[in-house]
Amino acid sequence: MEQSTIMLDYTHRQSGHCESGTLSNLFNYFGMDLSEPMAFGIGNGLYFSYIPFLKVQYAPMISFRNIPTTIIRRGAKRLGADAVIIKKFKTPEESMDALDRNLEKGIPTGLQVGIFNLPFFPPEYRMHYNMHNMVIYGREGNTYYVSDTVLEKPQTLSYADLQRVRWVKGAFSPNGKMYWINRVDKNADLKKAVAEGIAKTVYEMIKIPFPLIGTKGIRFLAKDLRKWPKKHGKEKASFYLGQILRMAEEVGSGGAGFRFIYGAFLKEAGEKFNHPGLSEASVLMGTAANKWREFSYIGARNCKSRSEPTEDYGMLADMLIEISYMEEDVFKKLENIKI
Amino acid sequence: MEQKFDYKYKDPEHGHYRELFYSYDKDGNYKKQVRFHDDSDKIFIEQFWDVQNNRIQEAKEQVLSGIKSPVYYYMKKNLMDLMTLSSQATISLWRVKRHLKPGIFKRLSEKTLAKYAGAFNITIEELQNIS
Repeated sequence: MEQSTIMLDYTHRQSGHCESGTLSNLFNYFGMDLSEPMAFGIGNGLYFSYIPFLKVQYAPMISFRNIPTTIIRRGAKRLGADAVIIKKFKTPEESMDALDRNLEKGIPTGLQVGIFNLPFFPPEYRMHYNMHNMVIYGREGNTYYVSDTVLEKPQTLSYADLQRVRWVKGAFSPNGKMYWINRVDKNADLKKAVAEGIAKTVYEMIKIPFPLIGTKGIRFLAKDLRKWPKKHGKEKASFYLGQILRMAEEVGSGGAGFRFIYGAFLKEAGEKFNHPGLSEASVLMGTAANKWREFSYIGARNCKSRSEPTEDYGMLADMLIEISYMEEDVFKKLENIKI
Repeated sequence: MEQKFDYKYKDPEHGHYRELFYSYDKDGNYKKQVRFHDDSDKIFIEQFWDVQNNRIQEAKEQVLSGIKSPVYYYMKKNLMDLMTLSSQATISLWRVKRHLKPGIFKRLSEKTLAKYAGAFNITIEELQNIS
């Protein structure tokens, strides 16, 4: 094994969400300034789905974000970046060699990894979640330099550890998946990209004719939340509630289940294109996001006193319904404005 | 290798991990802030790990009283469900289910034990004798 040292001039910036942060940092490396909220909005990060029959860690699955790698695929495509390749490998050795070749060519490379065996990851997030993103930007002997946007500082990882996290098995196993950008289009039509991104998010949040997705999904969740204490008992209801909050506030969401990042995106776009409609929508989104925060403050009280809820679950459900209509207003507004 | 991860959320300073959070204030500005989690967030993180730790403890008692095999304990300890364990150990689901019974676990071959030990990142001795 060659012992060459490669260290790319890659700037690590911490971000709220792993995927949008990765895309924003990669664009930044190629000299195109793209903030995290912009990457998030253009790549359709925002989502809501509630899947009661699918259990993750013994609680119904709730997601505030789109399917992993959506942001990277759609964001890079809309911004006209050249050759974003999402690639899977057959053997671990092949995938590691491909990574080394990329580094030698001077391309920082994004990887999909599982977080359970990542040594530097905050211990309280350890779970079997295989869709985390990070960027490798250098190598020294057997040590790789890693930029993980969830953490403040860049990290290092050994060859064996890296191979292990890239080849973790289980649901959504990455199989060594990696992606990179060859060239960015600095004259990309940002306005068009933003318009496309918003239109798709509007579709996904209010137009999909399925009750578990988008703002309708929030109302469905509210309906179930009301029933939980009777159906599952108070202990379990409190655990389920805790899981909703954990998905919203934890796992790299930037707070309030990505709603703050999306609001920041609307505001930035509004300022950039001098568009009053977008700025108004950003105010509405911010208010809705603050309502999510309030929901999690109040909900957390029920998580503290587990078997004796201090707050009424009906009241929490009402709050969710209010939030869902607030968000619906935002997307209805976005639907009708022309960018 | 025992007690590899300390799941319990206990450090009031949130270890040394600060995260980036966005917020929205009354003047209509979005702000970025690098900070520790606030107290209300810590409540449900703590709750999550309490529930997990209880589950692990329960599993341990069941194994020690001979109701379940050690595979069950290590499965809970690594926060796995049957599907995850089956794919990580590359053993089919119905076989994993059988191996949760102590009688059947005792008759397992070295090869199968090694697969489980690999999935749990422990040695075969540790797998056979839980303490």
